[in-house]
Amino acid sequence: MGTEKDKKHKNYAVIFDIQRFSLHDGPGIRTTIFFKGCPLSCAWCQNPESQKAGPEMAFYAEQCQESYACTGICPQNAILRAKQSRINYDRCDACGKCALECPFNALRIIGKNWHYKELVDESIKDKDYFLDSKGGVTLSGGEPVMHVKFLQNFLPLLKKHGIHVNIETCGVFKFKEIESILLYLDLIYYDIKHIDPKVHKQYTGADNRLILDNFTRMVKVFPKLQARIPIIPGVNNDRGNILATARFLKQNNQTSIHCLPYHSLGAAKLARINSGPAPFNLQSITAKDLLPIKQMFQGEGIHAVVYD
Amino acid sequence: MQLSMTEEKPIHQKCQQKSQQKTRIQNLKTAVQNYKPGVCTERAIIWTTYFNNRDNRKKPQVIQMAEALKDVLLKKSINIYPDELIVGNFSSKRVGGSIYPELHGVPVVEDVFKFSGRKTTPLQISGSEIWQLLKIVPFWLFKFLAIRAYKSPFKKIRFVFSQLRAVFYLINESGGISHLAPDYEKLIQIGTDGIIKEANQYQSSVPKKSEKYYFYEAVKIIAGGLAQFGERYAKLARNMAKDESDPVRKKELEAIEQACLQVPGKGAKTFQQAVQSLFFAQIAINLESLDNSVCPGRMDYYLFPYYKKDIQSGLISKEEAKEIVAAFSIKMSEIIPVFSKRITRFHGGMFSGQVVTVGGTDYDGNDSTNELTYIFLEVMDELRMRQPNYHARIHVKSPEKYINTINEILSNGGNSPALYNDDIIVEMLCKQGYKISDARNYTAVGCVEPVSQGKSFASTDAALLNVPILLELALNQGKRFNSLVRSGAKTMPVSKMKTMADVNHAFEIQLSFKLNKLIRDLKAVESANRRLHPTPLTSMLLDGCLKSGVCSTAGGAAYNFSGIQCVGPVDTGDALYAIEQAVFVDKRISIKDLVKLLKNNINDKKLRAYLRNLIKFGNDDEEADNRTIYVIKEFMKILKKHENTRGGKYVAGLYSVTAHQYFGEVTGALPHGRKKGESFASGIAPVNGMDKNGPTALINSVNRIDFTETANGINFNLKFDSLCLRGQTGLLALGNILKTYFRRGGMQVQVNIMDPKILLKARDNPELYPNLLVRVSGYSAYFNDLTQGMKDEIIRRTCITV
Repeated sequence: MGTEKDKKHKNYAVIFDIQRFSLHDGPGIRTTIFFKGCPLSCAWCQNPESQKAGPEMAFYAEQCQESYACTGICPQNAILRAKQSRINYDRCDACGKCALECPFNALRIIGKNWHYKELVDESIKDKDYFLDSKGGVTLSGGEPVMHVKFLQNFLPLLKKHGIHVNIETCGVFKFKEIESILLYLDLIYYDIKHIDPKVHKQYTGADNRLILDNFTRMVKVFPKLQARIPIIPGVNNDRGNILATARFLKQNNQTSIHCLPYHSLGAAKLARINSGPAPFNLQSITAKDLLPIKQMFQGEGIHAVVYD
Repeated sequence: MQLSMTEEKPIHQKCQQKSQQKTRIQNLKTAVQNYKPGVCTERAIIWTTYFNNRDNRKKPQVIQMAEALKDVLLKKSINIYPDELIVGNFSSKRVGGSIYPELHGVPVVEDVFKFSGRKTTPLQISGSEIWQLLKIVPFWLFKFLAIRAYKSPFKKIRFVFSQLRAVFYLINESGGISHLAPDYEKLIQIGTDGIIKEANQYQSSVPKKSEKYYFYEAVKIIAGGLAQFGERYAKLARNMAKDESDPVRKKELEAIEQACLQVPGKGAKTFQQAVQSLFFAQIAINLESLDNSVCPGRMDYYLFPYYKKDIQSGLISKEEAKEIVAAFSIKMSEIIPVFSKRITRFHGGMFSGQVVTVGGTDYDGNDSTNELTYIFLEVMDELRMRQPNYHARIHVKSPEKYINTINEILSNGGNSPALYNDDIIVEMLCKQGYKISDARNYTAVGCVEPVSQGKSFASTDAALLNVPILLELALNQGKRFNSLVRSGAKTMPVSKMKTMADVNHAFEIQLSFKLNKLIRDLKAVESANRRLHPTPLTSMLLDGCLKSGVCSTAGGAAYNFSGIQCVGPVDTGDALYAIEQAVFVDKRISIKDLVKLLKNNINDKKLRAYLRNLIKFGNDDEEADNRTIYVIKEFMKILKKHENTRGGKYVAGLYSVTAHQYFGEVTGALPHGRKKGESFASGIAPVNGMDKNGPTALINSVNRIDFTETANGINFNLKFDSLCLRGQTGLLALGNILKTYFRRGGMQVQVNIMDPKILLKARDNPELYPNLLVRVSGYSAYFNDLTQGMKDEIIRRTCITV
């Protein structure tokens, strides 16, 4: 059994989206691959459907035309005949049969098993654009490093095509895990969400010591690391945290940080699924709102790039 | 205005002059844009008066044409409006269009009472003008070109009626041909005097009273007429200058007088005269035959020597040159086509198709961008007017500055210029038989059709074929879904179709049947144009005609083609793919039931959703894309079997202007989930909303088409929402994506960055824009999957108030 499962983890990964023509996940035109499963459960998560490791069903009530093509085919008898909710999640095992039946795309399966070879084929479809724009593939999620065994198969094959690879990581992993794929990475976007372990734990479900440790070890062996911080008003945008973050970066010989203004777009997805964090009622902010943060970083000698 | 230019001006005066220029251009633009377009009856009346005279009708046809046009040029009203630097009027109205009673004028007059009241493109016309038009109708009723294309009364009626309600195809050439880029370079250089001299030389070596003799005679008549047209303006300017109290304007009028005495009769000596010369010819050619797609073409290239000379001698400054370009550009919007509602269905949006092309290479393949290129781009972007249509040529060695200028204009929401790939188009033209130097001197005409400037008579909009409707015939033994009458060929009943090959076969037969019929009708119209409507003015500005003594309508030009548009290849391809998947692969429905479903306009919601969800062209799916390519190839295969009456090839165009909409309206339901009457996809764009994998996937699909074969041009309308393409990142991405498209053999692209306001529309009508991309770092979702509140959020982020 164990080896079977192992083999599966080596060859397959659950991926919930592949987004071509991504422009904000590294340089140039990129294809971003969203891996499912995350060791953190950030309250502000923009992809809450990524947190749970396995596939899950989602219901888009607005798309439903009430044809009930989904009824009668569910092996678990988990389809409800209600306008607003269609899935009995206690029964549903996310086999996805109902999604295949629904002609209106109201029932969808979030997360599909991809074989690494298939994923390479899909990833290189935009190779020509990568070449012309100096772009590439970005591994996102979820936390891609959770799929390290898969990546050990996937990345060498992808690199054979000469493709630039970026990874967006939360920093929660065993260092030797990422070490095993470091050779294939050209860039790492590394999140530092909060410098205080307690606050970090309060909002993400885990304290940050491993994250900061890994960061410190990583910068010593990997030169192309880029620190990032999502700016969440009331959580990590206070002067204390920004200055502490800046100091941490300086200690680690870092000179820059990317700041991502918080947006509430993740909340749109919560109603469709039966997982993820509790609703986080916070107004979105924009690049403009990040000007003081930028200045604080600059004051500490850290160059801050604000995303729009 | 040239008189005071040589002396050095103090700085404050220069500033003052600059602001004066701005106001002048602003005034001219406002005057033209605020003017309510009207119908001009002058050409129709003068033309009719000429042909009413029996003695005139006894002359050789080509002489009649030259004399009639000369009459128009000498008798039509002329005006010089305040602030103008470049003068000349297309019509008696500031913005107006003429009626061509011998061409499509009679069918147009059916709307004479509706012009001013109609909703789309209303046109002003006075009561007396209506009366004037009605009076001439009886004279032309049985004399206009379409009705004279066939001799037998039965064929006459069949043809005219089939064209009035065009379901399968439309022959545009019955409205005249035009669609050329005249050799303005030559006119500017040697003037009509030079052309007359040339005609005299050729004429002396042909027998008197021969066909060629009269052709040269006609050329001389109209060349002289054109020069006199200019002289009329010289006289008007002189008179106006006499009464002018403002000394500045007085000087300008005197300069205009000087220019109009010089051109178009003699060669131009200055930049302003060069532009003036070609503009007079532009008016006259539009009055000769069809007022569509008369294209000045590569102005930045052939005007550059005049610009350079004037700049070097200090005669004008760069700013003043720009002012002349702007003044010209505005005047190009003073012409509009006068169409009836019936014709507007095909040719919507007041399209005049006067192309100005910038950039590209010289005859040897070296980059030809210059200072004027940028002046034209600036003028285009600052004016953003209906006409002319600005196009830009791009090749591997185009300078970075040029590419960046264009990308910046496009990402700021200017939907011009359309972009053309030299590397592919030159190869394509050479394949069609062009000499490489002529191929390198190409410009687009009309919508998107590449031709050699001054050398091609390519009738690029000769006809359009409704291709998807042929699938309707193929699935119903040659009959329309709702009809008992067979309008196509008799093909196998669906009950006997066992494989996809059977379906394809039936489609191929219908395609060949209708396309052959189209070509038969088109040839009749070609001959009618040659017989009844020779065009000596057009011909004298096309290389080959003078030398051969043969009119362009008879094949005298150096290169001859006829363009036939393949309308709806993508719908047809998607429909074929849907049949294959639904019937033969998924076995979801039998072909008989599928046809029944189509006859019932796909009245099953679930099945329709299933059919619509099948993969379509534009998603980087090779198998689905190959269906569209198959349709295009079959279309070309049939064209290759024919030759036009001018000795040229029939070539395929993959663009549809607004015909995809009209042909869609008259076509029944199709297997890819398209209901009866719905518009087809435009050009080679995917079916609306069916490109679900973003722009890179779409371009991968489009790049599968071999554009070295699509000789009559393509239109690839690439739409982006401003949401996705925001900021500096967006600008870079745009440049890069276009680079890839062209590097891999793309031919043409028109980039359209949609107004942010469409997000509001998309929020309220998700079905209109099903696949808007949201691009935020690390975030995965489509716009339409967001909740209402989140959509508003996104809209706010894109900087518009909800």
